[in-house]
Amino acid sequence: MLELRGVRHRYEGRVVLDLAQFSLPRSGAVAVVGHNGAGKSTLLRLLALLEAPTEGQVLFNGTAVPRRAPAALRRRVTLVEQRPVLFRGTVRENLEYGLRVRDVGQTAANGIIGDVVERLGLQALLPRRRHELSDGEVQRVAVARALALRTDVLLLDEPASSADRAAAGALYRALAAERAARPFAVCIASHQLEDAYRWADDIRALADGRLSPVTPENLFRVELPPGDGVKTARVGNIDLQVMTDRAGPVVLAVPPTDIFVSKEPLPSSARNIFKGRVTGMAIEHRGAGVHIRADMGGVELVAAVTAEAVRDLALTPGGAVVFSFKATAVQVF
Amino acid sequence: MDFLAEGLRRAWGLLIAGDSEVFGIALLTLKVAVVATAISCAAGLPLGYFLATRRFWGRRAALTVVNTALAFPTVVVGLLLYGLLSRRGPLGGLGWLYTWQAIVVGDVLLALPIAAALSAAAIQGVDARIRRTAETLGAGSWRTAWTVAREARFALAAVITAAFGQVVAEIGAAMIVGGNIRGSTRTLTTAVALYTAQGDFGLALALGLVLLILALVVNIALQVLQGRGEDHA
Repeated sequence: MLELRGVRHRYEGRVVLDLAQFSLPRSGAVAVVGHNGAGKSTLLRLLALLEAPTEGQVLFNGTAVPRRAPAALRRRVTLVEQRPVLFRGTVRENLEYGLRVRDVGQTAANGIIGDVVERLGLQALLPRRRHELSDGEVQRVAVARALALRTDVLLLDEPASSADRAAAGALYRALAAERAARPFAVCIASHQLEDAYRWADDIRALADGRLSPVTPENLFRVELPPGDGVKTARVGNIDLQVMTDRAGPVVLAVPPTDIFVSKEPLPSSARNIFKGRVTGMAIEHRGAGVHIRADMGGVELVAAVTAEAVRDLALTPGGAVVFSFKATAVQVF
Repeated sequence: MDFLAEGLRRAWGLLIAGDSEVFGIALLTLKVAVVATAISCAAGLPLGYFLATRRFWGRRAALTVVNTALAFPTVVVGLLLYGLLSRRGPLGGLGWLYTWQAIVVGDVLLALPIAAALSAAAIQGVDARIRRTAETLGAGSWRTAWTVAREARFALAAVITAAFGQVVAEIGAAMIVGGNIRGSTRTLTTAVALYTAQGDFGLALALGLVLLILALVVNIALQVLQGRGEDHA
């Protein structure tokens, strides 16, 4: 449906996004996770056709989008920013804005707005103005304003960051109901991994503007000394051994599938061997195994293993565990 | 001090009596000011929006030119325009020299940079997310511009007032290209200068008072608008 191809995007000369390929399926739910500054918001702005990439192409249904996307094309995609703003006027007027743009009649608009405010529990807010709303309420209104448009692509940047648990629940339920009602692509940037795992069909991690093969559990921002070969990077209370010629500030990524899990330290070529305790185990919903979360002296690492391995090793929450991985397995961004 | 008191008495008398010359000059000034403000704002506000929101090669230079034009001496504008409109000038065929239209052109040249530079600053002061939000909700260029302008409407109202203030108080260009012709191109400012030079202090003061009243009315209108806006954010 929407695709970025060979995109390198710069702000003031600095590359903030570097993606060979990134696409959103027509009716899929994609979560983009990553640290602050990883490029999530920039990615969403490009996907929303609000900015054109410095290099590369944006394709909509296989057709290249012009640098200034025409309004008719932009109307098929909508973005709710991380800190959304409301226009002057009441909440109702804000909800009507995009519908008026699309020449939706007043009766039809009233029906759509009634439906969306009911789903998100916003009825009481309709006559209020923006200065009478909390940050969480502004965020919910902004999501409702976007949902009301029934676009082909919905992009949400940390949509529940200012919401309490109940409001976040209502938001995800409304999203699920909308997805059940009609096919559309949704992409949510989030640092709340639990939410991402719960509802997304696909999770993609960004690290320093590039797609990372691992989700952010095993991402660490460190400073590497100059030189070649194996280097030591201090992460909390542990030292990670990494093989790289990169120096200075970098992000290290340890793919969960590259971590050997055992009960005792194993004789091997692995330069990274950490003893710790299991803090959590979760079945990865796409059937790719079990995520073992372990505390390694104040630093949490996640390893992916099969359900059989969990059974054979008798891994239990709170039990001792050893994670081992090679210095060459640590990826540097 | 006697001459001041005498001048005020004369001014009051002329205003109360509805002196036709005073009101004729005031009406011409109002006509010139309204037309020139309307033209300069109609061109300057969109130009300011364009400069504030679009990234293009030479944008910084364009902003510098507009900001520099804010300090353009009015007599220099008058002189240049005189050269253009005089019979031997490239625009001499229009026959506008010593007409109220010539004063309007001079005033537009002076007020346009004010409208453009101040509206660019006003638009730059609007949260960038407002424009992005309008666009992502599907608004086209005009509706996006209107939405952003609504957010900056008090600042833009102040821009219009500033442009009006420039136009209504301008004397250099009006004197040179208007010619200060009685009953034809005599505006409040040129008349004040003339009658003061002729020693008719009362008439000059009466015209000065009218000028102040005009400025006051526009400012009060703006304040009323701003006060209403604070209640309805």
